[in-house]
Amino acid sequence: MLKPSSRPHWATKSLSADTKTPPEGEIEMGNSKHLGLWLLAPAGVFVFLFFLAPVILTGVFGFTNMSTATGITGGAYMISDTSMRPLRSRYGENELADRLTQKVYTIDDAGLKAALEAGGDAAAIAELGDKFLDQSFDRRRGVETAIKSLSARPSTTRGIKIISAQFERSVVNVRFDSKEDLLVAISDFGIALNEGQTEALGQVAYTGWTFTTQNFKTMIELPDTSKTLINTLFYVFTTLILFNTGFALVLSITTHYMPAGPAGFFRSIWLLPRVTPPVLYVLMWKWLAWDTGFLSVVLEPMGFAPRNWMLDSPANAWTFIILINGIVGASMGMLIFSSAIKAIPQSLFHASEVDGANRGQQVWHIILPQLRWPILFITIYQTLSLLTSFEYILLATDGGPGGATEVWALSTYLKALSNYGGALQYGYGAALSLVLVIIGISVSLIYLKLFDFKNLTAPPKIE
Amino acid sequence: MSTNYRRWPTILFLGILTAPLVLMYVYLFVDTITNSPPGSMIPNEFTAEHWRFLTETIPGRPSIWLATWNTFVFATVTTVIVLVVSSSAGYALSRLQLPARSFFLGGIMVLHAFPTVTLLIAIFLILQMLGLYNSLAGVILVKSALELPFGIWIMKGFYDTVPWEIEMAGIQDGASRFQVWTKLVLPQVKPAILALGIFSFLAGWSEFILPLVLAPDNKVQVLSVYLAALIADDQNFDMALFKSVGIFYVIPVIILFVFFQNRLMNIYSGGNKG
Amino acid sequence: MRILLDKFTKSFGSLTIIDEMDLEIHDGEMIALLGGSGCGKSTTLFSICGIHKVNGGRILFGDRDVTNVTSQERNVGVVFQSFALYPHMTVEQNIGFPLKLRKETKPEIKRKVDEIAAMVHIEELLQRRPGELSGGQQQRVALARALIRRPDVLLLDEPLANLDATLRLEMRSEIRRIQQETGITAVLVTHDQVEAMSMCDRIAIMDKGQIVQITEPRDMYDNPVSDFVAGFLGSPPIAFVKGRISGGKFVEPSTATKIPLGAKIAKANDGREVKIGIRPEYFQPGSGTMISGKISFIESQGRETLYNVTLPDGTILRSIQSRRSPSKIGDEVEWGINADQILVFDQDGVRI
Repeated sequence: MLKPSSRPHWATKSLSADTKTPPEGEIEMGNSKHLGLWLLAPAGVFVFLFFLAPVILTGVFGFTNMSTATGITGGAYMISDTSMRPLRSRYGENELADRLTQKVYTIDDAGLKAALEAGGDAAAIAELGDKFLDQSFDRRRGVETAIKSLSARPSTTRGIKIISAQFERSVVNVRFDSKEDLLVAISDFGIALNEGQTEALGQVAYTGWTFTTQNFKTMIELPDTSKTLINTLFYVFTTLILFNTGFALVLSITTHYMPAGPAGFFRSIWLLPRVTPPVLYVLMWKWLAWDTGFLSVVLEPMGFAPRNWMLDSPANAWTFIILINGIVGASMGMLIFSSAIKAIPQSLFHASEVDGANRGQQVWHIILPQLRWPILFITIYQTLSLLTSFEYILLATDGGPGGATEVWALSTYLKALSNYGGALQYGYGAALSLVLVIIGISVSLIYLKLFDFKNLTAPPKIE
Repeated sequence: MSTNYRRWPTILFLGILTAPLVLMYVYLFVDTITNSPPGSMIPNEFTAEHWRFLTETIPGRPSIWLATWNTFVFATVTTVIVLVVSSSAGYALSRLQLPARSFFLGGIMVLHAFPTVTLLIAIFLILQMLGLYNSLAGVILVKSALELPFGIWIMKGFYDTVPWEIEMAGIQDGASRFQVWTKLVLPQVKPAILALGIFSFLAGWSEFILPLVLAPDNKVQVLSVYLAALIADDQNFDMALFKSVGIFYVIPVIILFVFFQNRLMNIYSGGNKG
Repeated sequence: MRILLDKFTKSFGSLTIIDEMDLEIHDGEMIALLGGSGCGKSTTLFSICGIHKVNGGRILFGDRDVTNVTSQERNVGVVFQSFALYPHMTVEQNIGFPLKLRKETKPEIKRKVDEIAAMVHIEELLQRRPGELSGGQQQRVALARALIRRPDVLLLDEPLANLDATLRLEMRSEIRRIQQETGITAVLVTHDQVEAMSMCDRIAIMDKGQIVQITEPRDMYDNPVSDFVAGFLGSPPIAFVKGRISGGKFVEPSTATKIPLGAKIAKANDGREVKIGIRPEYFQPGSGTMISGKISFIESQGRETLYNVTLPDGTILRSIQSRRSPSKIGDEVEWGINADQILVFDQDGVRI
């Protein structure tokens, strides 16, 4: 798969290599260009399918009303309670809506046939066909009165009902693949539409997704949005400051002042939460917090009633959420800061000690100034990941109690992909994600600008 | 390391902070093989009863062995894809003349920082449209794709450290760039491939959100989703069972962590999501 | 201030670097610790400033025992090989850092920084950062920082190793000037004999964690206690010739050349196998005890020319001559050894 067209070229070259060595640029230029593209191609396909396309589609879907109700691919046309509501409110066609949702009873061949199959009295059905064919009744009672008027009428009420049920005609809740089919059915149903009504019905009866800016209006109008926003900001900055940078600094600096053995031990321990699969890691915290769990058992003798410590109050829920995320986040900072501290020349430590610095002064004047770039790196990186990841919150509190710990990213998931609350609102979820995607792209670009892009793009030394 | 500061205060301080975490991990193991009387945290008997799930399928759940197999396939195939694609793309970006090279490099770096989980809804819908929803193949492709920017980035970094002289010498000896890559350069970055492989495998083994959203069905369920569903089921609450399944689930992770801890430390500090 | 190392011992793990070393540095003196890499000279310096804890013996500053005192409380100034300037601070902040840690007032720090900056000639550089300085300027800043709080002792760890050749010459005299102006006791750690000889009052030459000889530079050059010391000092280095003392003379076996020795040495060691050391300046054409050999190497050093003369058994003699002779490689020559200046060592290398 990866063999480019250069094959004969190198084959001849290797034969002549002993006698003369042509200038390398001349040989390699064209080939390596193709080779590079070949080697990049698979990555390109993946990137296109699962990065570029989703980014664009998130933008597109954000402007649709796509949901489980509309389906993902094209929709159908249907008269239903949901589609009649806008017909009344938006177009004022109350009368039309009433008539469309009405049931009508028509004596027709199809009905007669169905009545026979349903086990209705054959003689009565035949007589009904003779006398009443093509007659319509507004109510079922009308049909039944007609049946009772027959000479061969069934003897039981049940016999009558079996027959009468087969003549019920309605356009409600029938799926039509195209608008034309729907209009034919309506005219068969005996309703004539004027042009305006046809237009209006075409709009409201469509069940597939359509383009709309409604999602963004909803987002701005809903009080939940601002609450989620505040939750998100609180969560991101508290975790970031206390743990992803703060505690990470504590870990890397304390282990710096230890002999290699204990330092390695502590770093391994604090790396464990990152290595432990999230489901299991959160399970450990649940064990700690459960109403028969560790905290409850240990605190009970001290007069605290056993309870689910993680979910009993918003404050506790936040404490756990920040601990759970923070401890995982701190390990990355710990590793990066530790290697940055290791890169500080030993002589700087020695010089500052000779100059009279105590430990605190050494940390403040020597270590921290040298960690400015790593801290900035971690801050940008972790802001993004805290802002967008919701795995641990989903597993721990699922946004509870009562939405107290619902952050933006979790909210997109709950709206669009968790059918706990009924219909999945893909469009609205995508609109919420779009906000994060835009933030994500902007921050990534800043990151690219800050961290010395020029170094990365030094040209290859073999042309 | 200078001797002007005493060491025990830092060890004591961090020891106290670390104790609760250690306690949680210790109990994670202890609870799977013991029973404690109600209202106590001190076990009073050993038992194997929490491990029955290995032989008896829990009602309403797929067999644990099916879930394990699914997880294994998911993690392994993802790793292979990530390794093959990253080692080739990383080499192209590190060493070869490419049109729009700096665009590709910038793109990879942006993708590396970009929070991919925000694309979940769109990816979900794309898989639905491609007909790959609820299949292992679909979720494998997605997971591989999301790991790729990191993988390419890491591999590019390692290729950058291979001396140019090796390649120049190879070319003077008559090898093509492709041969130079496979015969001379790849052997130089073996440690990187091993590290990235372990990392990808662990990432696949631990992944939860993607299989949860993209392949939730019992027949394609992986262990993370299996365990999460078990925990979420309010009717059958059994912490010791959850922990036992969890330990079973985490065994490969522990093995890899113990053997490759230093490599993992290096690669984790290279940055990843979370 | 007088510095005294008393049976000072230092080991890392099971590896003993320095075993019971004694060293006294006089007040106001500049002493060089000279030796090859791994001889323990830097270890000694780091122990004096307290970065290494000693495993045995005592270190005294004046009458004060500082053996178990931390670096912070020792009051030593150190110039590190890499200068160890704090990259995120300006020159002014670097120099003032020790005073800032002592919580001296800002005007006070400013006054002292200006004073010391004038002394080391870096007044105009105070607002720059270390990255913007040349090597020589960094060196001056490091000196200023080491000196600003008037330390009891100034320690210099290979201070010239990171400088290029011309700067090295300049800084050699500058460091010496500043040391003499301040009258501070100073210890210079170096592997470069020229530095040690040109800058210091005394040289302590070290080998395998021990001081082999400690004396003034000229005396050490003229009267080395061993072949190790003789070989370490002098460039181009001394040449050694093996032979036997017989009848008051040293006999070189391959050419049977006889070199007269001082009566005392000859008498006491008659018949003994020895080796003699001949410095290049004492092996010249025209005078002395003639010995013949073949020129095997010629190196022009500009003003002077170095010749290697190989004797029939392969022994090499070196001659440094200020007038270029017409000889070429391969020529047989007969040049003279100044018998008064040869150094005689026994087979273990001890000076006789």
